[in-house]
Amino acid sequence: MSEQIEQALSRKYEAGFVSDIESETFAAGLDEEVIRKISAMKNEPEWLLEWRLKAFESWQKMEEPEWAHLHYPKIDYQAISYYSAPKSMKDKPKSLDEVDPELLRTYEKLGIPLYEQQMLAGVAVDAVFDSVSVVTTFREKLEEAGVIFCPISEAVHRFPELVKKYLGTVVPRSDNYFAALNSAVFTDGSFVYIPKGVRSPMELSTYFRINEQNTGQFERTLIVADEGSYVSYLEGCTAPQRDENQLHAAVVELVALDNAKIKYSTVQNWYPGDENGKGGIYNFVTKRGICHTNAHISWTQVETGSAITWKYPSCILKGDNSVGEFYSVALARGKQQADTGTKMIHLGKNTKSTIISKGISAGDANNAYRGLVQMGPNSDGARNFTQCDSLLIGDQCGAHTFPYIESRNPSAIVEHEATTSKVSDEQLFLCQQRGLDAEKAVSMIVNGFCKEVFKELPMEFAVEAGKLLEISLEGSVG
Amino acid sequence: MLKIHNLHAKVEDKTILKGLSLEIKPGEVHAIMGPNGAGKSTLGYVLSGRDGYEVIDGQVELKGKDLLELETEERAREGLFLAFQYPVEIPGVSNMEFMKESVNAMREARGEEPLSAAEFLKKAKEACKQVHLPLDFLKRGVNEGFSGGEKKRNEIMQMILLEPSLCILDESDSGLDIDALQVVADGVNSQRSPERSFIVVTHYQRLLDYIKPDFVHILADGKIVKSGDASLALEVEKEGYAWLGGKAQEADA
Amino acid sequence: MSQWLEQVVERAEQANLTGPRLQALTALKQQRWPTRKTEAWRYTSVTPIEQLSLSSVQTIRANATDIDGLDSLDLVFIDGVLQQSLAALTLPAGLTIQPLSALSDEEQTAASLFGQIKPAHHIFGLVNDVLAEQGLIIDVAPGADITQPIRIINLSSQGQESHVRMVVRLGEQSRLCVIEQGEGQDPSLHTAFAEYQIGPHAHLEHYRLALHTAKAVQVGGNHFRLLENAELNSTLVAFGSDLSRLDVDIEHAGEHAHAKFNAIYLLGSGETFDLHSCIEHAVPNGTTEENARGIVGDRAKAVFNGRIHIHRHAQKTLAELNNRNLLLSRRGQINTKPELEIYADDVKCAHGATIAEIEEKALYYLLSRGISRSQALIMLNFGFIQELINQIPNGAIATWLQEKLKDKFSQMEVK
Repeated sequence: MSEQIEQALSRKYEAGFVSDIESETFAAGLDEEVIRKISAMKNEPEWLLEWRLKAFESWQKMEEPEWAHLHYPKIDYQAISYYSAPKSMKDKPKSLDEVDPELLRTYEKLGIPLYEQQMLAGVAVDAVFDSVSVVTTFREKLEEAGVIFCPISEAVHRFPELVKKYLGTVVPRSDNYFAALNSAVFTDGSFVYIPKGVRSPMELSTYFRINEQNTGQFERTLIVADEGSYVSYLEGCTAPQRDENQLHAAVVELVALDNAKIKYSTVQNWYPGDENGKGGIYNFVTKRGICHTNAHISWTQVETGSAITWKYPSCILKGDNSVGEFYSVALARGKQQADTGTKMIHLGKNTKSTIISKGISAGDANNAYRGLVQMGPNSDGARNFTQCDSLLIGDQCGAHTFPYIESRNPSAIVEHEATTSKVSDEQLFLCQQRGLDAEKAVSMIVNGFCKEVFKELPMEFAVEAGKLLEISLEGSVG
Repeated sequence: MLKIHNLHAKVEDKTILKGLSLEIKPGEVHAIMGPNGAGKSTLGYVLSGRDGYEVIDGQVELKGKDLLELETEERAREGLFLAFQYPVEIPGVSNMEFMKESVNAMREARGEEPLSAAEFLKKAKEACKQVHLPLDFLKRGVNEGFSGGEKKRNEIMQMILLEPSLCILDESDSGLDIDALQVVADGVNSQRSPERSFIVVTHYQRLLDYIKPDFVHILADGKIVKSGDASLALEVEKEGYAWLGGKAQEADA
Repeated sequence: MSQWLEQVVERAEQANLTGPRLQALTALKQQRWPTRKTEAWRYTSVTPIEQLSLSSVQTIRANATDIDGLDSLDLVFIDGVLQQSLAALTLPAGLTIQPLSALSDEEQTAASLFGQIKPAHHIFGLVNDVLAEQGLIIDVAPGADITQPIRIINLSSQGQESHVRMVVRLGEQSRLCVIEQGEGQDPSLHTAFAEYQIGPHAHLEHYRLALHTAKAVQVGGNHFRLLENAELNSTLVAFGSDLSRLDVDIEHAGEHAHAKFNAIYLLGSGETFDLHSCIEHAVPNGTTEENARGIVGDRAKAVFNGRIHIHRHAQKTLAELNNRNLLLSRRGQINTKPELEIYADDVKCAHGATIAEIEEKALYYLLSRGISRSQALIMLNFGFIQELINQIPNGAIATWLQEKLKDKFSQMEVK
């Protein structure tokens, strides 16, 4: 039966096509000059260039972290191009009609039409292609409500006060190796500001696409939810099927001011490499949010792509009564390696956090949950509950759990549980006996295993995530 | 023995008891019946002083003392005993150790010498036998792994050992089959005396066939809405709580 | 490299080591002195070792704590020196005890017992390799059932540094009970490592009592290697000191072996205790249950790192690990890290860790029976570790421990 699983596991990556778009791409290599050039391309103010240069200075002194349960050849940072943009973007198209039709076709092929009339009502999209934002939909409608949703490169010019006030406050520019690199070379990303008391009238989403060869993608997202506001933000990512590894080192910062709530969902489907582990995205991402009094940040992620995933969306629960949540499904198959989890830092009183992590390993993959729950000396009455479940499909994969739990407050309560299980022959037999084929059966069992997380996703995303998992598992059954 | 006057109490922000008054004389057995959600269990918790159950108005006197001024353990030492509906399990603390501490705390409060280990063991064994619990239950963790019926019998055993003056039995019949009910009732009846009073809280009349009450009160929406003798319970058995009106029925649903 | 370690290396070099011990010295020289960045020492600082100034202190001879009713065969080391003549002992049939020096280099290598303490976990295994001049080799013949427990007492006198090593081998279908008891005066430094091989169908009952407190620094470890159908039942009890650290490795080298490991730690004042356990399932069909429970009061710090590693092909493994902690004080801290590393799919593995306070319901239940709040808290806290004491097979040790822990607990600050 497990042979059937193996077969079913042979992958099919649907977003692997390459778009034929003329691009302007920097020569590979990284030095101060490249950073100055990126900054100049974006016509950035002096303070931001300074900020980038300081980040670069720190990065040069830092060492690439080795603590994760990941094995990959050393990355040559000089072999990567740090900027690539479709040529047609040079003169900034004013409207969608001026956008290169090939670009629009690319997003359509990915199932993300950028024409507003064709879109799912209620979802505004910022499409980022290689290093630049191509288009942001529904902007007027959002701006009526006072919601700012635009490329961060644009926000730097239009809302310099806001950007300056919050950029780097949650993830400092020298926070870690990859965050420092991102701070030095980030090219675009989304900026969101929800004013006081406003509930964003629609879901906001950004679709990231890496197209160009030998380029890295370094986007930076900053979301500020002012007092009493609410926003749900979705993020999707894909890349073409290429033989060489590509680096993606993003930073996401969330600021939830008093009584605000941010729901951040990701479906990450970067190209994972082929069955021999050739190619695929190296995904090194720093995501962190800060919660002020009564604020609430919820991270939901479905990670199916990337050759390497290094990602720990975290919450700093600074304000009293604030809430942090992390719901994660990470699927690793073939030669994929994932080391992902979260940090919940409880500083305020009565802060609460919930961590539900579902790791699925198949083929030769290794999937690790790594988490930190920290109860600070003043976190009276704080609570954490963590559930980490691993599902193994096949006997060549690995599932690992590395939770760090630290408490300094006697009234704080921490509960952590972890289990492992497999898709058993009995389960499969039962399903098959009831007329389901093995593939469908595994997909059903896996979906059931992930249900707790899927229910946290916005509706459209939940469907997408379920499908994605099904595709990823195709052929993975016995 | 016990005088409750106009008792109002809340849990979190919800007011559960809304002006309950009741007087119990030594030796009397009072049954309190009522639909679910009427506040029956709350009464036991408020009288015993559970954290989170806040008295907002009214007075309670036990043997002439202001009960509400006392801490939970002081109330227990004044002779108030609550037999829990759902006794908590405490792994690692043996039943024996628990009861010995408890009995001696009571004795100390009464100015008596603590019992020696041998004296206590003798008493505990007798009490165990009386409620048909095997002796090894004394060695096991408090209520740890006990069945529902065993937990209830363990409560009655504690009552026998502690010799309280006022016993509140909170749905001591729930979840029991007829044999277990008989054991619980026998245990309670053996403790009836002219000095000892009982409040028997129950949803069904069934228990009152075994423990004959002197008075029956109907509690609905935080107040006693009707009082009578044992025949009132039979009336309730026949007619249910529907006559109490929509509100109580809702609570019962 | 720290000054302390330099001195260790210097002493070892003068000792003209050979065989496995010389290899250990070579390995030791390549080791980095642990800092907070060393994962295995993330929460525990080794500065108490560096700062220990032993030579200036007047030596006062230590005395061992007695365990009532324990009819054991006692072997006493004071400051690393065995106080008895092994030749003069009358031993039950099937039991042999030899000094460490009885094994030649070749025999040591052949026994492949030394060197099981992994330097990756802890450099002090290597320190003990090169410095332990004395120790014991205990062998139980196949089929022998040694009913009298053997107790190894390691005493460190004030101002002394000592290192003792032990190797215990249980032949097929044999039974043995070993108690390792360590105590140290203030200040002292002690390292004690023991390697056990439990033969097919053999049964080892084991206790490690680390009673070091205050400035009695101790680092040590146990390595258990279980062959087919071997059984281990081990209980560890620790108080804390300026630095108290134990590494327990359990290796399933034969199928159908069963390991049960319970640990209790009770820490007060400024004490630190750090327990690292590593369960290696290298073969199929093994079972492990580990339960560690600790109470931390005052300014104390508990560190727990419990790893379960299921190797590829170790199918049908059942492994469970549970770590529960009670933190009693605002100034105390608990750091726990249960880890799973699993490379086989048909296994049942779970771990859990909690840090909590006493349940309100349980406290209320005790209060409603007239027990005072302070007494109720003591009972509940103690009940928490009582559950593990109840599982101790040796009645005399259980009774003694109960009193010992109660005594220690009564001195702790309970909120």
